Amino acid sequence: MSIAVQTSVIDQLRRIVGTDGVLSANSDLLVYECDGFVIEKNSPDVVVFPRTTEDVARIVKVCNEAGVTFLPRGAGTSLAGGCLPVGGGVMIVLTRMKEIVEINLRDRYAIVEPGVVNVWLTNRLKGTGYHYAPDPSSQGACTIGGNVATNSGGPHTLKYGVTVNHVLGVEAVLADGRVVQIGGPAEESPGLDLVGAIVGSEGTLAVVTKVWVRLTRNPQGYRTMLGIFESCDDATNAISEIIGAGIVPAALEMMDQGILTAVEAAFKFGFPLDAEAILLIEADGLEAGLNHQQEQIIELCKKCGAREVRIAADDKERMKLWKCRKQAFGAIGRLSPSYCTQDGVVPRTKLPHILKRIIEIGKKYNIRIVNVFHAGDGNIHPILLFDERNLKQTEDVLKASGEILDECLACGGSVTGEHGIGVEKIEFMNKMFSADDLAAMSNLRGAFNPKNNLSPRKMLPTAGACGLEQKHPGRRAAM
Amino acid sequence: MSSVSDTLPITETTTPGDASELAEVVRSCHETETAIYPIGGGTSLGYGLSAKREGIGLSLAQLASVVDYPARDMTITVGSGITMRALAEILAAERQRLPIDVPGASQATLGGVVATNFNGPRRYGQGTVRDHVIGIHAVDGRGLSFKGGGRVVKNVAGYDFCKLLTGSLGTLGVITEVTLKLKPIPDRFAIVFCSPTDLNQADRLLAALVNSETTPCAVELLVGPTWTADKQFTDLSSSGSSLFLAVAVEGTEPEVEWMTKQLGDEWRSEGVSSHQIIEGHAADELFGSMTEFPSSGESPLVLRASIAPSGITRFIEAVQSLDANCSVQSHAGNGIVIARLSEFPSAGLAKTLVGNLQAVAASAHGNVVVLSNPGGSEMTHQSVWGAVDAPFELMSSVKREFDPKNILNPDRFVYVS
Repeated sequence: MSIAVQTSVIDQLRRIVGTDGVLSANSDLLVYECDGFVIEKNSPDVVVFPRTTEDVARIVKVCNEAGVTFLPRGAGTSLAGGCLPVGGGVMIVLTRMKEIVEINLRDRYAIVEPGVVNVWLTNRLKGTGYHYAPDPSSQGACTIGGNVATNSGGPHTLKYGVTVNHVLGVEAVLADGRVVQIGGPAEESPGLDLVGAIVGSEGTLAVVTKVWVRLTRNPQGYRTMLGIFESCDDATNAISEIIGAGIVPAALEMMDQGILTAVEAAFKFGFPLDAEAILLIEADGLEAGLNHQQEQIIELCKKCGAREVRIAADDKERMKLWKCRKQAFGAIGRLSPSYCTQDGVVPRTKLPHILKRIIEIGKKYNIRIVNVFHAGDGNIHPILLFDERNLKQTEDVLKASGEILDECLACGGSVTGEHGIGVEKIEFMNKMFSADDLAAMSNLRGAFNPKNNLSPRKMLPTAGACGLEQKHPGRRAAM
Repeated sequence: MSSVSDTLPITETTTPGDASELAEVVRSCHETETAIYPIGGGTSLGYGLSAKREGIGLSLAQLASVVDYPARDMTITVGSGITMRALAEILAAERQRLPIDVPGASQATLGGVVATNFNGPRRYGQGTVRDHVIGIHAVDGRGLSFKGGGRVVKNVAGYDFCKLLTGSLGTLGVITEVTLKLKPIPDRFAIVFCSPTDLNQADRLLAALVNSETTPCAVELLVGPTWTADKQFTDLSSSGSSLFLAVAVEGTEPEVEWMTKQLGDEWRSEGVSSHQIIEGHAADELFGSMTEFPSSGESPLVLRASIAPSGITRFIEAVQSLDANCSVQSHAGNGIVIARLSEFPSAGLAKTLVGNLQAVAASAHGNVVVLSNPGGSEMTHQSVWGAVDAPFELMSSVKREFDPKNILNPDRFVYVS
């Protein structure tokens, strides 16, 4: 963006949102040069904070008139560079649009603005008997707008589904500044499921300014179990047995010895440090069925060689277990100066295989890899530990990450279960999809974003765009 | 059910042997700008605007095989031409299912169900088609094969074509293959049944269900002659009322046991004088009647409203005031009302819908569409699809990208230019 354009654009933006709603000083812009994916950095030219849908529409029109690119951002917790302003441009930060507009229990929906933090909605619903089901581990920081952009998951999505299964409608500003409402409190609306297309589109189709989310009845009870295993193999076999037996727990998470050591040092829960792996299993639902389900799960764990299956004594212990799980990433700093989290998916029966391959790949590159992941979904999160001051080790981490993701694809899986493609995984799109598949995706983008001025160079590999060369993986925030 | 050639202006029907043959057919139609009408089981041909352009029928009957069924992963990949009955039988052998209730399951195909986004009573507890499709293959209007999603249950790589194509009526691509997320078949199933004295009591019971301790899989409010002519239903009703509330529950033995008792207790406290618990074969039969309702018998006009659930009884009253003899099924927990009218409205379709029912639906944040109108009169865009404020222009832009020559099921869907 040239200086002349920049000045006039900034002036126009200030007229829309006020002086305190625009950042343009280099020192202020540095905060927005990356999100939770810190390998690549680039500052936006301007950051603007709208308060209303109309503000967003006017900002988008200014960008169109000035011929500058723009992109939305929520809390910036993306782990794949979804909020990286490739090529600069105007960054529309939606954190001032943070109102919970309506809660309607009779019709089981809530209307929220995109800047509402995920956990605020959960907190607001306390005591109503309802909750908002998607619970990413970063739910204390991430916004619902961001969850919509990335189609976020979380531990309890095993039973309840991911964000797209809980979004009834959106209001959005299109790339040309038009405002549309798609869907709403009613479950079906005539025509194409554009809500389904926008959720998970990583901010490349529209800027979402309001979200109608479905509310879910709280389960009557919980049974939270901790399966302790002598070997990772036994633990992954138990996962396969539980799912294969047709049991759908609310959550089924695995932590290996490496991550347990760090978590135990941080939270002192009393995890057995001599075990190679633990499974955190939660069944929920009607009290009438929970004891039976718990017995089945314990039996299957023991059949697969579990040394012991502990049961959370009360809600306090349950909450502590979940705190350990959701904040596991915060404990990794105890293990190494830098770490890189991967996000891959395999069919659930391939979990024993992929974990063995991860160990082999770690040995091959002499990289220590620890694991904490959504086992029930087959969604792995190997964490590669290294020291970014060591260039050779850093390069090896990238190679090892690539090999792990290639192996996920070879198993019939995916290179991302919940973090998204962003800029991080663009190069894998060609491996996962054919040229015709990508052309179809490009067609969809063309219908929404014909000038490609909204979130350019994200998700889809584009001819001519020089791929971002990854030089060093960095520290990543929680998933 | 009328025949394919009665409903669609087709000169011939071609049945490709596999997806690449199918793509070849679409490519040649793209060159000659020949309209293509994809045909599954032919059970929903009346859905949408009338087809005007002469073209070919494209049968998916040969694309009906199982590509991969890793039962322990609880997913299956199948050709879109498989019938829902055949699919259910394959899955049942592993005690699994796709919990979507579809009428005419021995004819209706998976591809058709996905293309029309057809959902029955279990949508309340089990979700809809879009919640179960995790991978999809299709051929666009140029004849290019493309896919979205994959074969794993969690996946956010690329745009979600599974959602975009579900309910697209074959207008963006001919669906050739689908990967589904499956569910286990529960041990036990039961229906708790009562006859509310009037719609006011029904409304109170529906409101109370929102806070029920139970977790039903279906909440069905049934009104009118179709139900009162069915001995299964009248035998269950002690009051002689023509209004029925059927709540289905499923799960393990103790769960179903507890829920049936609990629902009875909750209803008693709401003033319901008697209720029935139906299990086993009788419950399956009763549920079967509810599943078949949208396409059972002849009706001159079938409508479907989707509104906020609290508006259900108000909408039913509005339909009844137009046609006192209409039969209604409401998936009440989800805000869906399917109304089979006993006669074509004398005021005409446009006046009945645009001037009346669409406004009632809009006041409950929803919309009404025509499911079938065998006479075919007054099938205008607004009377069939309603919702003038819906983003039809944006949808039309998507359509142009996927089918630039407008050959896939042309003129029948919501597109505006």
